[in-house]
Amino acid sequence: MSLLEVKNVKKSFDGNEVLKDISMTVEKGEVISILGPSGSGKTTFLRCMTMLETVDSGEIAYSGEKAVTTVDGKAVYASKADMRRIKTYFGLVFQSFELFPHFSVMGNITDAPIHVMKRPRDEVEKEARELLKKLGLSERADHYPYQLSGGQKQRVAIARALAMDPQMIFFDEPTSALDPELTAEILKVLRELAAEKMTMVIVTHEIAFARAVSDRVIFMDGGVIIEQGSPADVIDHPSNERTRAFLKKMSE
Amino acid sequence: MIKRMLAALAASAVMMSAVPVVYAEDMTFTVGFDAEFPPYGYKDDSGEYVGFDLDLAEEVCKRRGWELVKQPIDWNSKDLELETGAIDCIWNGFTIDGREDEYTWSVPYVDNSQVVVVKDSSGISSPADLAGKVVCVQADSSALEALTGDDATDENKALCASFAELSQVGDYNSAFLNLDSGAVDAVCLDVGVANYEVKSRKGYTVLPDPISSEKYGVGFLKGNTELRDKVQESLFEMLDDGTFMEIADKWELSSSVCLEKNAAVAASDTDDELPSDDDGPTADDLIYICRELLEGLVSSVGIFFLTLLFALPLGLLVAFGRMSQNVVLRNIVRLYISIFRGTPLMLQLLVVFFGPYYVFGISTSTSYRFMAVIIGFTLNYAAYFAEIYRSGIQSVNKGQYEAAQILGYTPQQRFIRIVFPQMVKNIIPSITNEVITLVKDTSLAFAISYAEMFTIAKQVAAAETTILPLFVAGLFYYIGNAVVAAVMAYIEKKMSYFR
Repeated sequence: MSLLEVKNVKKSFDGNEVLKDISMTVEKGEVISILGPSGSGKTTFLRCMTMLETVDSGEIAYSGEKAVTTVDGKAVYASKADMRRIKTYFGLVFQSFELFPHFSVMGNITDAPIHVMKRPRDEVEKEARELLKKLGLSERADHYPYQLSGGQKQRVAIARALAMDPQMIFFDEPTSALDPELTAEILKVLRELAAEKMTMVIVTHEIAFARAVSDRVIFMDGGVIIEQGSPADVIDHPSNERTRAFLKKMSE
Repeated sequence: MIKRMLAALAASAVMMSAVPVVYAEDMTFTVGFDAEFPPYGYKDDSGEYVGFDLDLAEEVCKRRGWELVKQPIDWNSKDLELETGAIDCIWNGFTIDGREDEYTWSVPYVDNSQVVVVKDSSGISSPADLAGKVVCVQADSSALEALTGDDATDENKALCASFAELSQVGDYNSAFLNLDSGAVDAVCLDVGVANYEVKSRKGYTVLPDPISSEKYGVGFLKGNTELRDKVQESLFEMLDDGTFMEIADKWELSSSVCLEKNAAVAASDTDDELPSDDDGPTADDLIYICRELLEGLVSSVGIFFLTLLFALPLGLLVAFGRMSQNVVLRNIVRLYISIFRGTPLMLQLLVVFFGPYYVFGISTSTSYRFMAVIIGFTLNYAAYFAEIYRSGIQSVNKGQYEAAQILGYTPQQRFIRIVFPQMVKNIIPSITNEVITLVKDTSLAFAISYAEMFTIAKQVAAAETTILPLFVAGLFYYIGNAVVAAVMAYIEKKMSYFR
C-alpha cells in the first residue's frame, strides 16, 4: 500500500484555480522533490496534503486511511478523531521553521510528545537528546530559538518533526531561508535521513538541491504536474517544453 | 480682584460711614456657592444659576454698581477658593455656628435648623428611631458638624453613635438618590433645603424634631471687614425698603429670615488675626493627615487589587467573545467594549450604583456601594484589557498556529501552551499603562461617595482648611505607581528570556 495517495485534487482561491486535478503517490522510503516556478501551485499542494488548506474536491489517503473523499463533487473530510490519527502519519518542516520562541530547544522538541502524545517526560527527553546528538545540536539543548543560527533553527525544526515519530516528513522550501553555504549542511542531514529510509517530500525551486537529494522529481506548473521521473530524466533530459524553459531560466 | 481695590481704599475714613452710600465702583463681586444647594443657590431647569442667596447678591451688586460673578465651587474646596481670592465670599446657606472664628461674618440673615428627612413609608418618626439606620449628610455640612463636630451636643453625639453608619455624600442630589435607592434610610440637612426638596420630590417627610438650630450668614475671608461692611450696609438698605422680604417671599423663606440691624455679628469678627493653626502645617498636622489618608489608602488598594483580580480574566473572556465566529456574540461584545471605552468611568460608576433602583426598582443596601465600585471598575477595565489581549493574540504569527496544528495540539492546548505565553510578552507594555492609569482612577470612586484616599483627602483638606492633604495623597499615588512600574519592569525582565 502507498504511504500517501493523492487523487484528482482541485483547489481554487476566489475562483482562481490553483490546483487543477493533481494526482500523486508516495511509496515508503521515497524521497520526492516537487519542483516548479513560483505560482505553480506547489506550496498550495503541500498545504493541502498537510491539511493546512482544505481541498475543493479529490481524495487524499495516508496508508490507505482516507482523510478526504469526494461525494457529489464536494470534498468530505474524515471525522475529527480519524483526522487526529491521520495527522500523526506526517510531519512538516516550515520554510520559516516556526519554532516556539518561548520554549528552549529541548522544550520545542519535547512539548508535543509530552502533551499531545502523552508520553512520559523522561523517555521523551532521552530520545530528544539522541536526536540532538545526531543533528549536532547537543550543546544547544538549553538555548532559546533567538540564540540560534538559521541552520541550527532548521535542524531543531527537523528534530521537532522527527520526535513525533511520523511515517513521512514534508519540507517546505528547506533551503530558501538559509545562506547558500548552508545548503550543503541541510543536504547532509536529509541524506542521513534518507539512508534511514525516512520518507520525504520536499517542495523546492532549487534544481541542484532537488537533483542531489531525491529519488524522484515532480515538475509542476500552472496547477498541474507537467512531468515526473528520476532526476536524470526530468532535470537532465526534460521531455516537456515548459520544464526546459524553467530549467533554463533557473540555470541563468 | 476686589481685595486689591479695597486695600487702596482702606485708608479712606469714609469707609465706616453710617450713611448709605452708593458706590459706583467698576469692580466684580465673585460669590462662591455650591450649585447643588437649592433654594439658596442652584442650577435651574433652564441652566441658569439661581437661588435666594444669588438674588440677594444680585441686588447688593445692583445697589453697589458691582458686576456679580456667580462662581459655583466644590464645597470641600471653599476655603481654598476664598484664600486664593478666587471668590470674594461664600454666600450659600452658609452656617455660622461652629465656624465663628474661621471667617469674617455678616450678621445672620436666615435662621436654619438641621432636620431629618425620611421616606414616608420608613416608619421613622423621631430621631430616636434612627438607631441602627444608615444616615447620610453632605460632606463638611452643618448637619455633619451638628452630629460629630467639636461643638456637637452630647445628645447629638449619642444619636450619631446609634446610627448603623453615617455616610457622607458630595451634594444633596446624591443624598436623595441614595435615600431613593434605599442605600441610606435618612438624610440630615438644613430645614430650608429639606422643605424645598420634600416639596419638589414625592414621598418624603421632614421629622418634626430638629437635631439643631443654627443661623446663616455671608462668610468673607478672615479679616476682610471692609467688604463685609459694604455688603451688610446694602442688605440693611434692602431690609428697610422691603426688597429683602420680597426676595425671601419669592423663595418661600420668609418664615426663616432673621436679618436685623444692630444684631450682634458673629463672635470674633473684629479679631483680624488668623487662627494659629493657619500659620502652616505642623508635624502633628502631617501625622494626622497621613493617618487619615492611610485609612483611605487601604480602600484604594482594595479597589486596585480587586479590579485587577476580576478584570484581567474577564478581559480575556471578552477578547474571545470579540474574536468569536458567532456574529451575534461578536457584535454584542463589540458594543459592550465601545460603550465602556466611550463613556466616562465616573458615569459608569453612577449607573452601576443607582441603576438597579432607577431601572429595576431594586432597593440596594449600603454594602452595595463597595460592590458597585468593583463592578464598575471591573467592567470598564475588562473592556480595555480585552482589546489589549486581542491585539496581543493577533500579533502572534499565523505560522505558530500552523506549527501547533501540525504537531497535533488541540485548540485549547494551542492557546494555553503556544499563544498565551507569547501574547503575555507582547502586551506587557500596554498592560503596564492601564495598571498605572488604574492606580489614579481609583480616585473616581468618590463619584459614588466611596471613602477611598482621594475622597478622604478632599474631606480632610476642607476640614483643616489646607491643601496639604491633596499633595500628600498625590505623593501616595506617585509612590503607588512607582511600585507598580517596578513590579511591571520585573515581570518584563522575567519575560525577556525569549524573543
